[in-house]
Amino acid sequence: MTDAPPRMRLSSARLAGLFVVIFAAAITLVLTAVYVLTARVLDREVDSVIRSEVTHLVDDYSTGGLLQLVATLRRRADSWDRTGAVYLLIEPNGYPIAGNLAHWPYEFDTYGSWIEFEIDASEAGGVVSHPVRAQVFMLPGGRRLLVGTDILERHKLASRLRTAMLWGAGSSVLLATVFGLTYSRRIRRRVRAFASTCESIMAGDLSRRLPVEKSHDEFDELGSAVNRMLETIELQTDMLRTTFDSAAHDLRGPLYRARVRIEESLQHDGLSDDARGTMEATLAELERVQRTLGTLLQIAQAEGRGRDVPTEPVDLAALARELVDLYRPEAATRDITLEYSGAEASTTRGNSQLLAQVLVNLIENAIKYVSPGGRIEVSVAMEPDAIVLQVADNGPGIPAADRPRILQPFVRLERDREQVGSGLGLSLVVAVMRLHRGSIELLDNNPGLIARCRLPLVPGEK
Amino acid sequence: MRLLLIEDDLQAAEYLVKGLRESGYSVEHSPDGRDGLDKSSRGQYDVIVADRQLPYVDGLAIITALRERSDRTPVLILSALGTVDDRVHGLKAGGDDYLTKPFAFAELLARIEALNRRGAAASETTRLKIADLELDLLARRVTRSGRNIELTTKEFQLLEYLVRHAGQTVTRTMLLEGVWNLHFDPQTNITDVHMSRLRNAIDKGFPKPLIHTVRGAGYVLKE
Repeated sequence: MTDAPPRMRLSSARLAGLFVVIFAAAITLVLTAVYVLTARVLDREVDSVIRSEVTHLVDDYSTGGLLQLVATLRRRADSWDRTGAVYLLIEPNGYPIAGNLAHWPYEFDTYGSWIEFEIDASEAGGVVSHPVRAQVFMLPGGRRLLVGTDILERHKLASRLRTAMLWGAGSSVLLATVFGLTYSRRIRRRVRAFASTCESIMAGDLSRRLPVEKSHDEFDELGSAVNRMLETIELQTDMLRTTFDSAAHDLRGPLYRARVRIEESLQHDGLSDDARGTMEATLAELERVQRTLGTLLQIAQAEGRGRDVPTEPVDLAALARELVDLYRPEAATRDITLEYSGAEASTTRGNSQLLAQVLVNLIENAIKYVSPGGRIEVSVAMEPDAIVLQVADNGPGIPAADRPRILQPFVRLERDREQVGSGLGLSLVVAVMRLHRGSIELLDNNPGLIARCRLPLVPGEK
Repeated sequence: MRLLLIEDDLQAAEYLVKGLRESGYSVEHSPDGRDGLDKSSRGQYDVIVADRQLPYVDGLAIITALRERSDRTPVLILSALGTVDDRVHGLKAGGDDYLTKPFAFAELLARIEALNRRGAAASETTRLKIADLELDLLARRVTRSGRNIELTTKEFQLLEYLVRHAGQTVTRTMLLEGVWNLHFDPQTNITDVHMSRLRNAIDKGFPKPLIHTVRGAGYVLKE
């Protein structure tokens, strides 16, 4: 029960994490595709401009020869400032004939192919390095023609696009993360709210309901369904309790009167011994009925109205020692050893009378079933978050198959039919343990029985 | 001795009144809370026995009203609920003792007697004495006819309780409440063994026993 919340947290956080990763991958894929396609379109545009320029110049050359080409290139000497176009015609020995480029970019010695290089241009703000993309064309006679264009703007565009995309992707992932965390926290919060309500309900507060928000989501649907179920259960439990309470009340009236009446009659002298005996036996029977009824009421109270039971700090070790002292002489008359071992003091919060009743019931049970010469050991031990209170004997024990059953009201083992008892002692122990948010388990002592009660330590009561 | 019984179960009240009168009490009966409040505020009683749940005015409200007038008359609360918290509420409201219905008549008698004598015995003393038995409460020492008697702490507490209630019947439940602070009835008559041990220590070897068994009720310590 205690390891459920961390697992829950993991599952909702993991879901959110997975969601973020998938989202980030998708965003990256889409943006990369957009970037690559855009860049290619830009490249193609630049290339086709250069290609048509080259075609145009080569036409000039073939119709008007070198002179015509040089004239055209000279006309376009100022083209750098206007269109960012770059031209250069050189002799086979590298001597520039015409064009607006000072020298051939020797770092590229490949001809006929596309090249990219940088040129330094002086501008208002100083010298700026411009990337240039160009095509080199071989003219007959060994002359070479370079036609290129400034691609600084294109680079800037691409880089701006990259930045925009990175920002877009980053903020999307961030947004997704925040959303995922919020959502997973929201799920966790609602599951926790459900769980804590369920805990209170299990502790006996049947009036609690699961929190339903107005969002009409699956949680609300689930919450409403569970709440309708709780409504029905509470109604039925209330009905049962009311029936039980009024039955108990109705029984107590006549029981009270019968007792008072018999006792009043017993005070008179002149009763025959026979009549006196019958009346005393009847009184004893009435007392048994009263005891059973009283125990049933106590169980009902511990089970149902736990919230009203007053609590105080209780030193269980001191209580156990005191009760062992109380019962030791009684056990000794049956030749049974009754001992206490364990903690010196162990204080928790609880109802001292009900906890004493638990110990008394367990000790009395043990004394009842252990044979002469037997041994009963009562112990209280501290654990980090609980106090373990245990009564161990070396009596006949309880077969493993019967152990869960024996904790229910009125259930008794076939072999114990002869023994007096109502079959309610252990049920009361169960009810009191539940009231204290503790538990009881029955274990094998090889031979014998260990009744082990575990009470949670209430913070601040250590 | 004057006693007021506030009980709405008329048939039971009839027998209780009869039994109490036969035991030597002068008893008045109120059938409901309003009448009980009225009678308790006018009359002078030594002990008031009030049911917890009454028509018109609750038993606890009657006690509260009494205490607000600084009326210290001891009150025994009868409760049909018999739950742990009920006892606590009853005593908190100013009740002096608490009994769950149905109860043995002898139990009721013993508790009324104890309440009646309580005022006198409550004084702070360090020495208690009955016949030739002496208790030194500070030194936790017991002597009988000058002879020292060794007792365990619990046996001493048990004896002290008996001596403080000397001459009164003390029931087993009163002992469990007064000496062991257990406010419920265990299945076994667990006090009997302790009493027989105490008897062995106190009375064995002396001509006159001090501890006596009261049949069907409990014990009494007297000369």
